[in-house]
Amino acid sequence: MNKLTDTFYSRDGTSRDLKIKIIGIGGAGTNAVDGLKLDDLGDVRLAAINTDAQALNQSPLAEKLIIGRSITRGLGCGGELEIGKKVAESDRDALARMIADMDLIILVVGLGGGTGSAASQVLAQVASKTDALVLVFATLPFSFEGARRKKIAEESVGELRQLVHGLIPLPNDVLLQEGEEEDTSVLNAFAVADRWIGRGINSLCAMLLKTGLINQDFSSLSSVFKNRGGKTIFGTSTATGENYIQDALEDLFICPLLHLGDRPAKLDHILVNFIGGADLGISKVNEIMMKVGKRFGSREDIIFGAVIDESRNQSLELCILGKADMEGAGRPEPKQTPKKTVENGLQIETQISRDTRTPRPVHRSKISEKSSPKVDQDEFTFIENGGERGYFEKTDRNEYNNEDLDVPTYLRRGIKIKIK
Amino acid sequence: MSQTRVVAAVEIGTSKIAVLVGEIVGESKLSIIGHSIGSSKGIKKGEIKDLHLAGDCVHATILKAEENAKCRVEEVYLAQTGRHLKGDFNVGSSSVSSPDSVVQNIDIDAAKKDARRRALPSGRIYIHHIQNPFSLDGRELSNPSSKKGRQLQVGYWSVHGDSEVVGDSLRVIQGIDLNVSDIILSSLASGVVLLEESEKDNGALVIDIGGGTTDYVLYRKGYIVKTGVVPVGGDHITNDLSIGLRVSTKNAEELKFKHGRAYYKIEDRDEKVWLIGDFTIGDRQYPLASITRIIEARVCEVFDIIREQLERSKVFDPSYIASGVVLTGGSANLLGITEAAQRCFDLEARVSDGPIDVSEELRLPEYSTTLGLLRYALTGQEERQEEAKPVGIIGKFSDWLNFN
Repeated sequence: MNKLTDTFYSRDGTSRDLKIKIIGIGGAGTNAVDGLKLDDLGDVRLAAINTDAQALNQSPLAEKLIIGRSITRGLGCGGELEIGKKVAESDRDALARMIADMDLIILVVGLGGGTGSAASQVLAQVASKTDALVLVFATLPFSFEGARRKKIAEESVGELRQLVHGLIPLPNDVLLQEGEEEDTSVLNAFAVADRWIGRGINSLCAMLLKTGLINQDFSSLSSVFKNRGGKTIFGTSTATGENYIQDALEDLFICPLLHLGDRPAKLDHILVNFIGGADLGISKVNEIMMKVGKRFGSREDIIFGAVIDESRNQSLELCILGKADMEGAGRPEPKQTPKKTVENGLQIETQISRDTRTPRPVHRSKISEKSSPKVDQDEFTFIENGGERGYFEKTDRNEYNNEDLDVPTYLRRGIKIKIK
Repeated sequence: MSQTRVVAAVEIGTSKIAVLVGEIVGESKLSIIGHSIGSSKGIKKGEIKDLHLAGDCVHATILKAEENAKCRVEEVYLAQTGRHLKGDFNVGSSSVSSPDSVVQNIDIDAAKKDARRRALPSGRIYIHHIQNPFSLDGRELSNPSSKKGRQLQVGYWSVHGDSEVVGDSLRVIQGIDLNVSDIILSSLASGVVLLEESEKDNGALVIDIGGGTTDYVLYRKGYIVKTGVVPVGGDHITNDLSIGLRVSTKNAEELKFKHGRAYYKIEDRDEKVWLIGDFTIGDRQYPLASITRIIEARVCEVFDIIREQLERSKVFDPSYIASGVVLTGGSANLLGITEAAQRCFDLEARVSDGPIDVSEELRLPEYSTTLGLLRYALTGQEERQEEAKPVGIIGKFSDWLNFN
């Protein structure tokens, strides 16, 4: 193992040397990273990659990379995936330099266009040759953006998922449901996804960089995401006020991202982190852990982290990350694994891959020993048939005028539904 | 001497299987002697997904109907739905051959043959050729025989399906050693019993919103000018509610049943409803407006698709649909569905009271399709309603089945 990782998994668990880089790819990805408001930046580095020089110039980030200058002359890809691929390949070396010596790489990308869809794949390939843990937040296009973008996005999700440790799909159709306003304008609609990404990344960084009441560090995260491929779930909720614990829990349980169609039936690893104020006593922490445990499996199977933020009061932010490993999970060799992708609906694919390499060693925590894939998690049933296609998950696409009629009409039309 | 046949009308629906057993005496007398409704499994969106599961359900329901009728079924008339069904309007023509320009049967047959000559791609099979009025030198006629003219034309609404899918439903019936005498579109079958003759003449659109599909048929001047299937039904409404409100399918079904409505009213904006309502632990309050919005979006989309399909075939003309929209099927019970239909079609709409001229017991929407099947079983022999009589399909089916 590489020296860096050795220092990292040292016994005292110091995470001061942790190198985190958050990279926005393409227009949408860069926008999302631009707008990140992290509580405590620490060592987190932000970067942006785009083909469109003009768009990139407007980004306030320090580290920026224009790719494919020789091909697009600093203009965008115009949504063309083929151009995006060429461009990303041509700057493979520059991409590799960008992610060298990192421990955690978080890619933020809007799939469906040219640059983001193509460059994220190349970047993920490059990253898979390093020892870094790679997570991807990928927004999926709105239905109104057309079938072509949707198809590109679906294919990209399939490809990317093979290459990275965790891919979190964020369908814009679904996220739109979450805004406060009755009628969300298009610009606002895109910003909704950015807010979700922000909350997720913020929660992750807080857990990794702050010393918590229940401290979890990078090794906990690595234990959840020790294998490449497989499906990831992500959900977050936040609440303030008198009933903040109950409200945050309820909010989390109905988080739309936990009800997506391609949500795995059974999770192998679950990490729940919460950020609370100074008033969050141990009994309240216990209450939260009990309730979360009851909902998502037994308490012993879940890795909990709790961070206290002194500046907060009567406030709770919950974040859940879960991972379902693939059959015969290991660390698949990117690109060489036989994989079968069955396109079925919006963003659902079944992946089968086999790997002979031994899993990479992680810390010896009590928890990771327990979390063998055999862990019984029958209780992990939010809704037996939840999903964007739900009950029709396993049936053929119900295509009409380029729309899948099995997906609820209100989702495709962007009609907002209040559930409380 | 009159001959007696015992026929079963079978509708393999997505949410239920309906069987009616009828005794046909001679050429024109039909009495219904048995009926049963069974649960349906292995069927999604009107098509059989699991042959065994569906087969067991169908067999059980037929057996129950036989018990009820106290006799054995001899042949089966089967309803067909599903997204695989497609239709085309074909026009055939012939030049009047006799020197005095009087139309003779030979000319009529030539025009009919011409309209039906279009071959289908492999894997497709004709279910119905539904005849529309003749036109003799542009004059519309129901019977051109002995009329004078030069050019005779006739249109057919021809419906065809995927031979595999049709074959699956035949196999289910053949699995219990029964023969399928004919296959009839669900929409045709329900249309024929839900409408009065005068309504068919005035023009009416029958929409049957079932569990997995919505079938429709448009009558104009007494002729069937268009049929169609939208592979969306009550299951979709339940699924939408389940996803939108994040409740289980079972609870979504219950919410739909108890509080479902298809037309949003501003008064309901702040109304909340309980799922269970007796202070059971875990019960939650749901905004009625959300339930309505979800259902309304779905129902209106289905109506819009039907309207679009009618418009595309250039048969959507309100002045020829004077009797308006007649709704039937499980989801027709949703509150506000007529308002939704009125708004989407700009036509009068009503929910059907069920089949006409039958006993109280059978006047349930569940039986309307099967009653229509029996009507076809009867009139099919008479050659009276030729426009509705499927032509030669069983010949084609048996060829195809033997081939397999």
